[in-house]
This record gives sequence, C-alpha cells and structure tokens, in this order.
Amino acid sequence: MTTDTVNHEVGAPALDEPAQLTLAGGRRGPSVSRLLYGLAGVVLALAIWELLAYLRDDPVILPTVQETARTYVDYLGQKYPAVVGQTLWQHALVSVARISVAWGAGVVIGITVGGAMASVPFLRHLIDPLIEITRPLPPLAFIPLFIIWFGIGETSKFLLILVGVVPIMIIATVAAIDAVPEELVQAGRSLGGTPAYVLVTVRLRAALPSIITGMRLAMGAAWTSIVAVELIAATSGLGYLINNAGVNLQTPLVLSGIVTISILGIGFDALLRLFQRSIDPTHR
Amino acid sequence: MRQVSAPTPVDVAGAVRLEGVRKAFAGRSRNAPGRVALDGFDLEVRPGEFLCLLGPSGCGKSTALNLLAGFSTPDAGQVLVDDQPVTGPGPERGVLFQTPMLFPWLTTLDNVLYGPRARKERGPAAKERALDLLETVGLKDAAAAYPHELSGGMRHRAAFARVLVNRPRLLLMDEPFGALDAITRVAMQRFLLHLWERDRMTVVFVTHDVEEAVLLGDRICVMSGTPGRTRAVFDVDLPRPRELELTDTVEFARLKRQVRESLERSL
Repeated sequence: MTTDTVNHEVGAPALDEPAQLTLAGGRRGPSVSRLLYGLAGVVLALAIWELLAYLRDDPVILPTVQETARTYVDYLGQKYPAVVGQTLWQHALVSVARISVAWGAGVVIGITVGGAMASVPFLRHLIDPLIEITRPLPPLAFIPLFIIWFGIGETSKFLLILVGVVPIMIIATVAAIDAVPEELVQAGRSLGGTPAYVLVTVRLRAALPSIITGMRLAMGAAWTSIVAVELIAATSGLGYLINNAGVNLQTPLVLSGIVTISILGIGFDALLRLFQRSIDPTHR
Repeated sequence: MRQVSAPTPVDVAGAVRLEGVRKAFAGRSRNAPGRVALDGFDLEVRPGEFLCLLGPSGCGKSTALNLLAGFSTPDAGQVLVDDQPVTGPGPERGVLFQTPMLFPWLTTLDNVLYGPRARKERGPAAKERALDLLETVGLKDAAAAYPHELSGGMRHRAAFARVLVNRPRLLLMDEPFGALDAITRVAMQRFLLHLWERDRMTVVFVTHDVEEAVLLGDRICVMSGTPGRTRAVFDVDLPRPRELELTDTVEFARLKRQVRESLERSL
C-alpha cells in the first residue's frame, strides 16, 4: 500500500514477542530533578520538625527526629505493650490483614454493584441516593452503631473499613463504565462478540484503568480509617498501637505508628500504580 | 499489494433493501417533541455496489447506517440485508466509524484478531489471515504496536483490517475519513478505492463531502433534512478503476456540480 502516512517508526518487532516500545517525550517515570525536589521537601519538613523539637525541648510534646527513629527501630524487635504485646511489624501485619480483607471485599462489592448500576438504569436510580446519603458520613460515626449491632469483634472492624471503601468503588466503577464510548462497544458487537463477551472484553476492559484509580482511592480511605477501626476494643494493629501509645504519652511511638501507616500506604499505592501501568499500554 | 483471501462470488452478496423505514428519537422531556430522523425512507443497494449516502448533518444518513449495522431498530418499515431482516449487529456487516475505534489495550494484531476470537475461531488460520491483511493494509511492521503509537492513517487502515478479517459482505462506513487531515484523507480514499477494486463487497458510505461521494461511489443517494428522505439518486458513470487524477476531468466536475446543486436544493 502506498499511502504516505507512515511517519512513525515502529521498529519492526518480532510478532510473537512483546514489542520493545519506546515512547517519545520521556513521559515515563519521574525525572531526576523532580525526585530531588521531592526529597528536598521531605528533608525540609524533617529539619523544621527537628528545630521545633529542640526549641520546645519536651519529648512528650514533640520528640526529636533521632529519638523517633530510635524508637521505631527499637520496636521493630520489641513488643508493645511489653511482654503480652507484639512488635511494630506484627502490629503492622495485623492492620494490613484487616485492610486487605475488607478492601478486597469492598472492591468486589463495589465493582459488582457499580457494574449493575451502569447497566440497569432502575438500579442506578435506586442505589444512587443511598450512596449520596452514606458517602459524607465519617467512619467514626458508625462505631457506636456497629458495636451495638455486631459487638466488638472483627465484624465491626471489617464493616467499618467496608463503609469507607464501597461507596468510593461504586462511584468510580459507574463513572468509569459511563465514560466508555458507546461506539467502542458497538465495534465489539459488530465484530461478532456476544453482548456478554463484549461487556467483559470491551466495556469493563476499557473501564479498568479508571476502576483501578478508584481502587487506589479506596485503599487510601481504608488506611485513613484504620485508627478509628482499631479504637474498637482492639489488642493489636497500628491503630491500636497509636491509640494506646497516645494514652500513655509515648509520643515517639505514636509517631512511629504514623510513619509506618504512611510507608505502607505509599507501598500499596505503588503496587496498584504498577498494576495500572501494566494494563494500560498508553501509560507504559 | 498481495491478493489475500479473495472472497468467492458466493460470499459476495450483500444486497441491501430499506423499505418505508421510520425512525424517531425521543425528545428530552415528555412535552418536547421527538425528532423524526427518517420517515418513509427507501433505499436499495445492489450486491457489490458502492453507494454513497450524501446529505447535510441531521438528515438521517447516520441513522440509516446504524439501522443497517443493527445498532438500533426501526419504528416502522423493513431493513433487509440479503432478504434477511437485520436483528442486531453482526460480523457479516463490517462497520467503520468516524474514528477508528481500535481497542487501545490491544496490539494492532490483537485488534484484528478480536473478531475471530470473539467468534471462537481457533487455530492458526485466523492469525495467518490477520497477518496477511495487515500486510495488505501496509501495517505488517506495526503488528505488535499499540494504537496510540500509530499515525491517524495507520489507525484507520488497522480498523479496515479488523473489519475485513471477518470477510464481511457489506461494509458500512460513517464519514470514516471526516476527522482526518486533508492529505491523509486523500491517501485513505485512494486506499479504499484499491481495496474495493480488489474485493468488491457492497459498500454503504455516509459522507457530507460531494467530491468524496463522486470519487468513490457507483451511485449517490442525496438525502434531505428532517425527516430524512431520498432527494435524488445519481449514477456515477465514471470509469473504474478510479484514481485521484479523475478529479481533474471535466466529467467529474460536471457530475460534482449536479450533485452539489441537488444538495443545495434539498436544504
């Protein structure tokens, strides 16, 4: 064919191998200068913290950075509370387990309900107001209710995280599916796909990157609520550790718990971003 | 260009008949009147014919195409392809949209293979056919590239390959080159002419460009506004195979003028 529109190098990759694709413009990954600025911001914040700690000179109000770091490292191997408690790592694992289970369940529920709402108009009209009503409520508000209904066990904790995750996932799923161009679906149908086949391979597939964005937001919400969740008669978990250490004025340990949540939050978000990138060739 | 999987004459039916078709769209509210896109619309396309539907925006030409594609159903009248009523979308009626509508998460080859896979067509035959078609449309080297890495014209040619792999009897095109720049557009018109000379499937081509209609079509059906009806039908008795040089000839200019005047009267 002799059309003159080929102005793009594709590099003739072998057909059965994944193509080595290089994108122009270096959209991928942060540049070195951006990384340096980010690092400088964190260092600056730490310096201000350190300065304020010296000026105040009261480790209960504000311990120094070094003291916090020392506490952090100590409690990686040391149990809290002493003897009967668990190490910082074990507390973190307990929280991760709670969040993973509830977030995972919330994602499945949210995608299912959202998908149904996007496909069946009457379901959308039915459920939409319910979401709008529950969405602005802080998880904290549900604690007394859940304790009355489900007691102080894991069920209440599970549901409390779910309350934060599900509305976000439903809204993200509905919006993602709505944004898929109808013609893309029609293309799939006219190429011979059955409605169910096209629903999965086109409509949901096209919505997937935005749904994963919803999963990232929901993961953030889950971590945000962990302290509230573990206010409920917990004996382990990062939220418990923070609450308990706070009551006992162990400020360095409170800060260590906060830092751990932050690190875990960043880590899980990075994993989800990796997933998002792997399924979206335009962002690779 | 290689001769690939030329359909046998038996395959190439693709006769189209629309009889007294009416299609209205609901208004925005209960009180707002609906819009009648087509009313009493008749159209007949012979097997292997290249028919252009020409008209201003809102004259119902896209509505007619959507009915043929099976994306919507008529309120009244009949939509027949090879004497069978159209009941839904199907791979024997290939659709090309104004934008290529490739699946951005699939490579060019996987896009072309979407149809065969959707129909559970297994085995190496489909892949071979897809690769042959990619070679035909000049995208052999781009088989493993993703749509966003292709130029506008390349994406359109990939969309052609994706439809042709299903061996459609009928090609439905809705202003397929309308969004392209002038240079790419001309290249795509030439590409389409070559492709059609080779396979000679039935084509219904929607456009609002008079020159494009005269260059491509065997017949031009000029449509007029709300509700859409056929205003005039022109036979384009220009020799085939057609090349772009045809647009410089006197006959071409005369025909173009006739069609344009008919179009202006219909406004």
